[in-house]
Amino acid sequence: MITAAPMTRTPRRPWQFMVGLLARFGLSGRTLVIAAPTLWLLVFFVIPFAVVCKIALSEAVLARPPYLPLLEWTDDGRMILTLNFSNFQFLAQDTLYIAAYLNSLKIAFFSTVFALIIAYPMAYFIARSAENTRNILLMLVILPFWTSFLLRVYAWIGFLKGNGVINNFLMSTGIISDPLPMLHTEFAVYLGIVYTYLPFMILPLYANLAKLDIAMLEAAADLGARPMTTFFTVTLPLSIPGIVAGSMLVFIPAVGEFVIPALLGGPDTLMIGRVLWDEFFSNRDWPVASAVAIAMLFVVVLPIMLLRNAQSASEAM
Amino acid sequence: MGDQLVDTERPIAADTKPWRDPNATPFVRIKNVTKKFGDVIAVNNVSLDIFKGELFCLLGGSGSGKSTLLRMLAGFEELTSGTIEIDGQDMADVPPYRRPVNMMFQSYALFPHMNVAANIAYGLKRDGIGRDEIDDRVQELLHLVKLSGYEKRKPHQLSGGQRQRIALVRALARRPKLLLLDEPLGALDKKLREETQFELVKIQETLGVTFIVVTHDQEEAMSLATRIGVMDEGNIEQIGEPRDIYEFPNSRSVANFIGSANMFEGQVIEDEHDHLRIRSNEIGGDIYVGHGVACAPGQTLWFALRPEKIQLQRGKPDQDANFARGTVDDVIYLGDVSTFRITLESGKTILVTKPNVARSDEDNISWDETVYAVWGNEAGAVLTS
Repeated sequence: MITAAPMTRTPRRPWQFMVGLLARFGLSGRTLVIAAPTLWLLVFFVIPFAVVCKIALSEAVLARPPYLPLLEWTDDGRMILTLNFSNFQFLAQDTLYIAAYLNSLKIAFFSTVFALIIAYPMAYFIARSAENTRNILLMLVILPFWTSFLLRVYAWIGFLKGNGVINNFLMSTGIISDPLPMLHTEFAVYLGIVYTYLPFMILPLYANLAKLDIAMLEAAADLGARPMTTFFTVTLPLSIPGIVAGSMLVFIPAVGEFVIPALLGGPDTLMIGRVLWDEFFSNRDWPVASAVAIAMLFVVVLPIMLLRNAQSASEAM
Repeated sequence: MGDQLVDTERPIAADTKPWRDPNATPFVRIKNVTKKFGDVIAVNNVSLDIFKGELFCLLGGSGSGKSTLLRMLAGFEELTSGTIEIDGQDMADVPPYRRPVNMMFQSYALFPHMNVAANIAYGLKRDGIGRDEIDDRVQELLHLVKLSGYEKRKPHQLSGGQRQRIALVRALARRPKLLLLDEPLGALDKKLREETQFELVKIQETLGVTFIVVTHDQEEAMSLATRIGVMDEGNIEQIGEPRDIYEFPNSRSVANFIGSANMFEGQVIEDEHDHLRIRSNEIGGDIYVGHGVACAPGQTLWFALRPEKIQLQRGKPDQDANFARGTVDDVIYLGDVSTFRITLESGKTILVTKPNVARSDEDNISWDETVYAVWGNEAGAVLTS
């Protein structure tokens, strides 16, 4: 009876005919499911990236499109491939680009640190609050996303400018006599980035801290650790995955951020996103702009890959 | 065994029974302790004295308040009212990290990011002990639970039994005066649990630490404890040595919770100083008890009779009380004993166990036979509540 059961049982799966149809072409459902995201990444990431690489290796001209093709047919029937690495050399030589890269990394790094310092207590508090208030607090964290990112950054201009909300308030109370220069400074850029990306730090931290077993904290207290010691020896080390995830989500977009430095930053706030923009639209030097983009990719991707390797190595220990 | 761990100042307390000495000073003094969570009373006016070197078991079902009481001793819950004194010191304003108490958690709560040695050393580091001494003590403790060589393992690389032992020595590392154990064997399988029970008792006797164990498993409580406190709905129902609790329960809830008991309801018809006669419709006859009980004629009483205290026979016994006639419903062979389920003429079902002395018994009482269940004058406990 038992051995016969799988043979006699007819599964009612209405998509069965599809499976048969696909099998005729040597495909299975599994292949299809994997093919969908692969195709998506191919069309919208790999091919555009190849195009960017191609432009980065070509020479700029005043034409339309503003670069020379890589492959050329000569009259005597030969094909010539010209790879122009001068754009990358140019990046290395011109201090503007290196300064912009370094400054982007610096601003992204400190923004991440500030966001972490602000987000950690918030995430901890949300994770430790009662079930029903917890959902409301999480809602409040996500709420700003319902307003356009651009509008929120514009709103900060209204706060920070010379006759903005903050300066007007401070002058009316007599604390200051002249408006503080806040808009178009690096401070404003930090403020904008931290404000915008804070939810991306809070949410992974919250997810991590919410599953922290209270018994761990009690065990530490029981073994003689004061609350501070418990935090640094138990809570913090156990929340490292959350810290890493949140920091990545803030750091990576912050490096390439264009809107915030463009709107809130001053003329001396050099960030690679702005340089890229200027290269494309003001200089119309597409090859150099593409080279900048590729270099930026490596600047961001390499440390992440190293970090991931270090992480998986420490987990395997 | 590490010599340093043995408390040499005091003889081993295994055979002494300080709770029988009215002049003994208790080590832990719980006085009128109540704990409320909102409107729910988790622990209701509990008073309890525990003596040095005891292995005290708090036994109760889930929601009986036993774990809450333990957490109050550790300092994780504040008292709603009452006082807790440990070694003569009031614990009211003492935070968990300053109490001379350590706890072994039900989930073990080992720190997953630290290896075994770091877990054990955690409490010692907080006490500011030197690195060399910490290493020595960690070795000594690992030796105590036969896990030497496991220092570098992470908790997730250990088996359940190994984790349990590491949790135990981590709690013992600071040499607490009092060790609290929350369902210490709950996560282990039956075989391992039986082995570990004996180890736990041995370690407790060797170190002379006072243990308070919370458990829902009455067998575990029986085999571990010097004394048991049975808890139900936030109250302590009875405190006593395992034998007292089993043979002389003071209420129906205790008798039912510890082991199994046949419970008969009846009315007092003869109340003398040397004996008591109870008429019970459930039995269809009288219960004769060979000692006096404080009660009034006509009062309703309950009689708790353990299954192993009843004999079965085919012929009618030659006595005017302490027997009941019934039909065998079921015989359950359990190897060491057989359990008989018998329906009395009143319709009540009772359980009788009989040790299987011989390897085969042709003449054994079997299904559908009419039998007499017989017991002695002192076989059961008379309960007034």
